[in-house]
Amino acid sequence: MTAQLTGSSPKPAVKPTAKSKAPGRKKGTSILVTGILVVAALYFLAPVYWVVVASTKSTADLFATNGFAFAETFNLWHNLSQVLSYDGGIFVRWFLNSVLYAGVGALLATYIAAAGGYALAKYKFRGANLVFGIILGGVLVPGTATALPLFLLFSQMGLANTYWSVLLPSLVSPFGLFLCRIYAQATVDPALLEAARLDGAGEIRIFHTVGLRVLTPALVTVFLFQLVGVWNNYFLPLVMLSDTKLYPITLGLNNWLSQVNRLPEFYQLTTGGVLLSIIPLAIAMVVLQRFWRGGLTEGSVK
Amino acid sequence: MTTPPTRTDPAGAAAARPGRTPNTGQRGSGRRTSAVERAPWLLLAPFLALFILTFILPILAALLSSFTKVTRSGLFGEAGITSKFAGFSNYAQALADGNFVASMGRMLLFGVVQVPVMIIMATILALLLESASARWPAFFRAAYFLPYGVPGVIATILWSFMYVPGLSPLIDIAGWFGLSPDFLGPSTVLWSIANIVTWSYTGYNMLIIIAQLKAIPAEVYEAAKMDGASPVKVALAIQLPLIKPALVLTTIFSIIGTLQLFAEPQVLKTVSPAIDSQYTPNLSAYTTAFAYNDYNVAAAQAVLIALVAFALSFAFLAFTNRKSS
Amino acid sequence: MPRISRRQLLHAGLGTAALGLLSGCATPGTRSVNVAPTIASVPGQKITIEYWSWLKNLQPVADIWNAANPNVQVKTVWIPGGNQGGYPKLYSALAAGGGPDLAHVEYGVIPSFMMVNGLVDLTRYGADEFAGRYDKTLWSQSSYAGGVYGIPQDSGPMATFYQPEILDKVGATAPTSWDEWAQVAAELRKAKSYMDCFPLAEAGFFTALAAQAGAQWFRADADGWIINMTDDATMKVARFFDQAIDQDLVQTDFGAYSPGWFAAAGKGEIASLTSASWGDALVKGISGGAGKWKVAAMPRWGASGFGSSYLGGSAVSVLANSRHPRESLEFAAWLTSTQQGVDAEIEHCGIGWSPATDVIGTARQQPSEFFSGQNYNQDIFAPAALEQNTQWSWWPSQQQSFNILSDGFRFKASGTSLVDTVVDAEQKIMTVFKNSGLSIRKESA
Repeated sequence: MTAQLTGSSPKPAVKPTAKSKAPGRKKGTSILVTGILVVAALYFLAPVYWVVVASTKSTADLFATNGFAFAETFNLWHNLSQVLSYDGGIFVRWFLNSVLYAGVGALLATYIAAAGGYALAKYKFRGANLVFGIILGGVLVPGTATALPLFLLFSQMGLANTYWSVLLPSLVSPFGLFLCRIYAQATVDPALLEAARLDGAGEIRIFHTVGLRVLTPALVTVFLFQLVGVWNNYFLPLVMLSDTKLYPITLGLNNWLSQVNRLPEFYQLTTGGVLLSIIPLAIAMVVLQRFWRGGLTEGSVK
Repeated sequence: MTTPPTRTDPAGAAAARPGRTPNTGQRGSGRRTSAVERAPWLLLAPFLALFILTFILPILAALLSSFTKVTRSGLFGEAGITSKFAGFSNYAQALADGNFVASMGRMLLFGVVQVPVMIIMATILALLLESASARWPAFFRAAYFLPYGVPGVIATILWSFMYVPGLSPLIDIAGWFGLSPDFLGPSTVLWSIANIVTWSYTGYNMLIIIAQLKAIPAEVYEAAKMDGASPVKVALAIQLPLIKPALVLTTIFSIIGTLQLFAEPQVLKTVSPAIDSQYTPNLSAYTTAFAYNDYNVAAAQAVLIALVAFALSFAFLAFTNRKSS
Repeated sequence: MPRISRRQLLHAGLGTAALGLLSGCATPGTRSVNVAPTIASVPGQKITIEYWSWLKNLQPVADIWNAANPNVQVKTVWIPGGNQGGYPKLYSALAAGGGPDLAHVEYGVIPSFMMVNGLVDLTRYGADEFAGRYDKTLWSQSSYAGGVYGIPQDSGPMATFYQPEILDKVGATAPTSWDEWAQVAAELRKAKSYMDCFPLAEAGFFTALAAQAGAQWFRADADGWIINMTDDATMKVARFFDQAIDQDLVQTDFGAYSPGWFAAAGKGEIASLTSASWGDALVKGISGGAGKWKVAAMPRWGASGFGSSYLGGSAVSVLANSRHPRESLEFAAWLTSTQQGVDAEIEHCGIGWSPATDVIGTARQQPSEFFSGQNYNQDIFAPAALEQNTQWSWWPSQQQSFNILSDGFRFKASGTSLVDTVVDAEQKIMTVFKNSGLSIRKESA
């Protein structure tokens, strides 16, 4: 995609690349458009720039100097080592928890949604429409509306305030199933399945060998969607977890932020922690960006 | 939960299956049919089990709880607490709670303004990035998408530093021009939250729209070029109608997202006294449950939030379908 | 046919499983721990007690105890301050059947925790033997219905922090009555300073002043609660601040200790602060404030009412799911009433006023450089602690009541007077009581 857009050789037929669409566009327009894009970029990047600057400052400088300008003292390494060592390295633990919830959760959720979506797309069976209808309803139920009752349910089952309480709900992605179903309908060739059956493969095996392979592009999208969804989730862990050791990074950083009023040194921990937590995500977003391409509209595009 | 019945019932067939190679031969077809019949349920089983545990049961539990009421005897209930069926009284109480109703209204206002602004911004940015005049589109696309990877809580922490007097470079800069903006006052803080949400999700919505734009066949553009259509006309007459499905989808998700708003106001509450503990419907349900300890009314509120989300999504779908037909 | 029966079986199985789960799903907090048999302590066994508190740096204090009590180790966990997130965490942990052994609970919310059966009645574990060490008023604020539900940890006797230089500009000194306060405030406005803030978003300050004026909003009777928020004392305070806000005598844009307040106080735009003893540590955070501040007794409401009041103040409570109530109680008593515990709390945590009558803390018996060399703790706060409203009693759903009040106060800007808000709040609070299944009636005049 990137190559297409930046490449200078005009390749007409395939896709409407920038250059082919309008050769010889006026320079004025180009400057105007780029100007708008730059202003938008400033908006999206300014807070990130601020936190980079802020995390290099001491608490005193944070309040005494302009937020967009570096201070004379460079405190970054000191701040970051504080973040990493505070309370026995709890920040690292929060980070790993987030990786566990989001990574493992998204991986399993993708597999489970793929199996379900494939089943609904490739088999005709009684109840299929009912099941699909109910699950589709699940797409529209706000996640936070179920979080409270889920907490009450889990607390009865003794699951509240455990890793499971956040992990289990993260395994379900009605939207992922919806996407996999559409994608399987469009791309998994029934002839391929029939051929596998002729070879004597079991149904479940056919799913693993043929289905999953064909579904891969959709799976990447579902995985990323779920990964970001769980990583960003705040309400569910907030409701479920009271033990700070089980916190994901979002809850942990908020825990630090809520201490700044009484203890200003937490400003430095919070800004440093925010910086550390967005670096890997920023990299991931930029690198994985192209996988979002097809993303949500895969189905309607076909 | 679904697994045991589906698995155990046809156990005999399952045991007999492996060794055989069911050719297309007529003999095998009976077993084949049952294997094919069983397969979708086996494949669906993990999803259904978890779906029932984390969606169906909580919703049932919420419904049940929302129809229950607790009465206490003694000054604190120390002389006994009893639960009984309460009809719709929890719903009546939730709806009689001015703060909860106000929070719904606030979110509607928020949605009516923020969702269009965000979708329009995303559409414009997508069209500009896909236009011939854009330079370094890959860089800009990445820059716009980046905030999506920043969790709402952390985005709010970031922006709260932009809003708090004394820390905010924005207020400092405005001060040079003799202005003293108050981002956290009663009349402004809702839009400060809207800004955070817009900042977080515009790039994401933009990417979805770009994907749809890329799916427009080249011939369409060629034809437009033949007709000598201006870029603006191409955008309005060709691109916009063709990306409608993406716009509908992103709008619905944004509406649901608006009703779920929680992290942003909850975090911003620590710096803005204008945000009360029932500022959004979700904050209201959370406060009712964990600050007021009225789990039954909180359940009624959760049910109401889900119903409104449903109603709005369907209304919007119906509206767009009617318009297109 | 067999297909149909299979489906029926499936449905039936699902239905029963779901019903079974749901019927076990009672509303949390409806089982009482105080009718269960007491838990005996097992001497010689090594146990760990967890204490959730928003006091900063508490572990070093616990470590002093830990060194002396190898068998009863105390682990502290920081939680956000009360309503900012600490209580929701505690409530949700309780609802989930867990939670720490000990928790930091303000006096005002003890009844709310009792409502969800969250606290252990400490008289069942010998709390009475410690009663004599504590201030009687505080002890009574954690005693309800014949039980003791918390060991006093600190209190917030009130006084006025002020900047003599700023007041001197208008030829004033710390006012002794609220009428005088209003006159000074009006003079200060001409000098572009405010006398103080009035927090519209928090009802605690207003409540404290009503208590100072002699109000008694709630009392327990044999047949339920009796409410009276519209007595003369409360109405006097409401009218006073209605007028003060209307005449722009107080700052309402921000509350005390907010970033905006720190900036204004540093620039001398805020001349004084009527607040609790624990405010001293925060006032010391004002940049360039050293030597510029002093402490005086708070203004009085004429001849009636009391010389001081309480803002904040909290107890250590044993939570319902604790498996070591007796040991927890012993630690709580050590922490809050021994010279060693109180001194350590002052040193590490900047704790509020000591609840123990004989121990105010070594560090609080010396003059303070920041406060212009004044020995303000002994001179001002120690007497203030003895001049509080002894009749005041807290009530269930205090947080919700405070929110109802502050929700109304927020509308002050758009014209709703504080007086109207208080009258309206009384009705709403009665509804809250009835909704949570408690009986309440209005005090008959």
